[in-house]
Amino acid sequence: MKTIEWRFLIVNYLFLGGLSAGLFFVSALATYLQERDSFADSRIARYGALLAPWPAMLGSFLLIFDLGRWYRFYKLLLHFRWVSPMSIGTWLLSAFVLVSLLYLYAWLNPQQRDWLFSKLPKCLSSLRALHCDLSGSRRLLAAIGFPISIGVGIYTGVLLGAVQSRPFWNTNLVAQLFLFSALSTGCAALIVALSWSRGEIEEIRLLYTLDICFLTLEFFIVLPYIIHGKLSVQAVQDSLKLILGGPFTLLFWLFFLGFGLLVPLGIEVREIMPSLLSKTLIHCNRPLAAIAAMLVLIGGFLLRYIFVYAGQMSAIK
Amino acid sequence: MHQKRFALVIDSRKCINCKACVVACRAENNVPLGKSRNWINEEHRGVWPKLLASFEPEQCHHCADPACVRVCPTGASWQRPDGVVVINESDCIGCRYCVIACPYDALFFREDRGIVEKCDLCARRLDRGEIPACVETCPSKVRVFGDINDPDGKLREVLDRRQYRVKKPEAGTGPHIYYLLRG
Repeated sequence: MKTIEWRFLIVNYLFLGGLSAGLFFVSALATYLQERDSFADSRIARYGALLAPWPAMLGSFLLIFDLGRWYRFYKLLLHFRWVSPMSIGTWLLSAFVLVSLLYLYAWLNPQQRDWLFSKLPKCLSSLRALHCDLSGSRRLLAAIGFPISIGVGIYTGVLLGAVQSRPFWNTNLVAQLFLFSALSTGCAALIVALSWSRGEIEEIRLLYTLDICFLTLEFFIVLPYIIHGKLSVQAVQDSLKLILGGPFTLLFWLFFLGFGLLVPLGIEVREIMPSLLSKTLIHCNRPLAAIAAMLVLIGGFLLRYIFVYAGQMSAIK
Repeated sequence: MHQKRFALVIDSRKCINCKACVVACRAENNVPLGKSRNWINEEHRGVWPKLLASFEPEQCHHCADPACVRVCPTGASWQRPDGVVVINESDCIGCRYCVIACPYDALFFREDRGIVEKCDLCARRLDRGEIPACVETCPSKVRVFGDINDPDGKLREVLDRRQYRVKKPEAGTGPHIYYLLRG
C-alpha cells in the first residue's frame, strides 16, 4: 500500500524553513562582520533580519494545514522526543521563530518601533510596556539565533535522512545538502531584495562571495551523494535510478543542477571575477544578479520537490 | 513469569488467497474500503505448464525496534510491553511520518478521520484472551499466533524445528513475522 503522503505543502514548508534559516544566517553573519559601522553590511543584516521570520512562519502554517487533524498541532509542543526528527524540528522551529522575531524587533529603527506600537489595539495597550530599544542586543540575538538557524536548515534534511526505509534519503549527505541549499537560498533572497532596492557594489560583492561558497559546497555534496549512492548497496543504487533515467532525471540534472545551481554559480563567478584576479571592482549588473538569485531560489525549491517525491517512491525491495 | 512477546509465524505455502483474513480484519476493526491493515502479496511466474503462483499474507511486523514508534513526534505510536505496536488515536495528529518510515508500508492514513491506522494484532481481543481475527478466521491455518518467549508455546515449537526468514532484515527494525521456509 505504497502511497505518496507528503506532497506540495511539505515541499513548500521545507523550502520556506530553509529560506528563513539562510536569511537569518547571512544576516547574523553580516551583523558580526559589521565593523566601523559600515553601511553595506548593516543593510544586509537589516534586510535579513526583517525578512527572516516570515517564510518560516508561513511554512509552519502550511505544515499545520497538512496535518490530518490540524487543530491537534499543539500536541507537538506537549511532547519532546529526541529520537524523532520531527519533534526536534518542531522545537527548533519554535525557538527560531521566537528569536528571529526578537532579532527583527532589534533591527527596527525608532520610528518603525513607534509606528508598530501605535497600531496596537486598545485592549492590548498593556503591551506598550514592552516598547524598548533592543538595538544594543543585536549581536547577542544573532549569536543565540546562529546555531538555531543552522539547526533549522539542517533539520529539514535530517527529517528525510533519518528514515531508514527510504534509501533515496537515508544518507547523512541529505542533511548537509539541505543545509547549504538553505543558506544559498537565504543569500539569494537577499540578493533579490538588494538588487530591487539598488544595492551597493560592496553589498552585492559580499552576498556573491557567500553565495558562491554555499553553491560550491552544495555542488560538492551532490557529487558524492551520487557517487556514494552508486557504490552503495542495491537498494540505494535502485533508488538513484529515479534521477538516473527515472521520472526525475530531467528535473534533477537540467533544472536543479543546471539552471538551479551551476548556471547561477557561473553568473556569480563571472560577476565577481575582476575583483578576484585584480583588485578592480566587480561587475555590477543588477538585473543579472537578480536573475542568478531567482535561479538559486528556484533550484532550492526543486531540490526539495525532487527529494520529497523521489524519496517516498524509493523503497527497500 | 516471563515477559510475553507476541509474534506471528506464517506458512505461506498453505495460503490459498481466499482473503478471509482481510475481510475478518475489516469487519473486526472497521477498516474502510480501499484501505487494509493486512494484505496478500501475490506472485505469478512461468508459463504453462511450468508455473508458480505463490501467496504471502502480510501485515504490521510488530518490530523489536519499530521505525514508526521512533519517528512519531507525539508518542502516539507506541509499543506495548508484549511487543504489540499500537497507535493512540487521541495523540495522533496525522503527520504521516510513520507511514513514510515503515519499511513494510504497513500503515495507512485515514482521510475521513485524519489519523493513521495499522494492524494492532486485534489488541482488544488479545486483552480479552482471544486471538487476532485474521488468525482465527483463516481456513487453512496459515498463521500461528502466540508468545515467542513461552518455551512450551506453539510458536517456539514451530520456530525451533523449522527454517524461517523475516522480510527486509536490512531495514534494521527487527521484524516479528516469521515466514516458514520449505521443509
